[in-house]
Amino acid sequence: MRESVAKDVLRAFLGTLAAVLVYSVAGASGPRLLIVFNAFSVVVLFFSVRRGEVFGALLGTLCGLAQDTFSIGVFGVAGLTKTLLGFWTGYISRRIDVAPFARNALFMLIMSVLEMILWVLITAIVRLETVSWHGGLILLQPVVTALVAGLLIVVERRVAARRSRGA
Amino acid sequence: MALWEKRRSTLVLAGLVLFHVVLISVQVPQGAEKSAFERVVFFVYSPVQRLAAGTVRGVVSLWRGYFDLRGVRKENETLKRENFFLHQDVRFLKDRLGLYRSEAELQAILKDFRGTVLPARVIGIDSVNPHQAIVIDKGRLDGVAKDMAVCDMTGALVGRTIGPVSLKDAMVQLITDKDSSVGVVSAVDRLTGSLAGRSGPTCELRYVLASVTGGQVGEELLTTGTDRIYPAGIRVGRISSIEPNESSPIFRRIFVEPYFRFNTLDVVAVLAGAPGGGK
Repeated sequence: MRESVAKDVLRAFLGTLAAVLVYSVAGASGPRLLIVFNAFSVVVLFFSVRRGEVFGALLGTLCGLAQDTFSIGVFGVAGLTKTLLGFWTGYISRRIDVAPFARNALFMLIMSVLEMILWVLITAIVRLETVSWHGGLILLQPVVTALVAGLLIVVERRVAARRSRGA
Repeated sequence: MALWEKRRSTLVLAGLVLFHVVLISVQVPQGAEKSAFERVVFFVYSPVQRLAAGTVRGVVSLWRGYFDLRGVRKENETLKRENFFLHQDVRFLKDRLGLYRSEAELQAILKDFRGTVLPARVIGIDSVNPHQAIVIDKGRLDGVAKDMAVCDMTGALVGRTIGPVSLKDAMVQLITDKDSSVGVVSAVDRLTGSLAGRSGPTCELRYVLASVTGGQVGEELLTTGTDRIYPAGIRVGRISSIEPNESSPIFRRIFVEPYFRFNTLDVVAVLAGAPGGGK
């Protein structure tokens, strides 16, 4: 029991490092990429579907706090939204079938949109301000994030299927 | 224990949500000061960012250096030409400065300035809004501290260093961030005000009274140095539009386009004297 919790914490930490890596590569390639694509959300969505709600919540906390660290905003806002994103993504994906790509992408899109709404609301409450919309570009963020996370899951499943066939 | 087994997921979620609510709440009395926890998280993750940015830069440099050599000759000619004119400009400016100050004074100013400019690479951008902050690869070990002015390669103002400053990395608040404020003066009509960011590509010149005349589109803005963070005379940007302020009619609404460009923000210069640029 204790071993499995320790393993989960270690996996979550490694997942967060992967998210920081993806975010840094995206930022170095072009600042606008960070507006249309949230690397931290992709990692949370991907691992929450695979490993369930508890792991999703833990990973959401770590990824959210990492995102907050690299931003001037209030520390903990992204942590809170991503914790809820990870938990509910893991929880719902265990109760409905999200295996087909279209259904999976739609599910990810809904979760990403909900995360963004929550983030906008919390930012409005905590900082008493509206979010910068970047000429509407930020509205693409849930779509691109959901698409990337959905594609990652498809690729991972195909690789796993090919491996099991080979074995 | 039985409750933990039965309601594990709910308890984990409740614990994490409570943790975040407490984390957000404790920051209210702290203001802009970063907590020890946030500094630790930054310290842990910034090397990963440095590694990733370095890898991307390496790949791009390899591509540009070895594979994408088209147009290098033409670019070289253009740079030689620009270099020639820059040398002329420097000579002209030195001559002009010499008219107003003695040689000894001039040397003293230049001596004070030398060694205080610290070149740094940009290794990261604000994860939520690129117009708010950047992360650079110089930290406390290199002599970087809080509240030092940061300029781009052309000498235009980019922002100032803020916490957390770790051993080898530091965060820079951009002048386009909406919480940023810079004391500026216009070069021709001497309009003074406070330049505030809008978390977008443009800034706003605030607190210029509607009764004050002067100021025109295209006019350059320079730092005043009165805020004791940015040294006086640094180029900031140009006035892009002037409108009446409907929400607050006693002031004018002046929009400013900063000089620094995001897409070319690769290397920056930290003015590593004491805050305000002095020694």
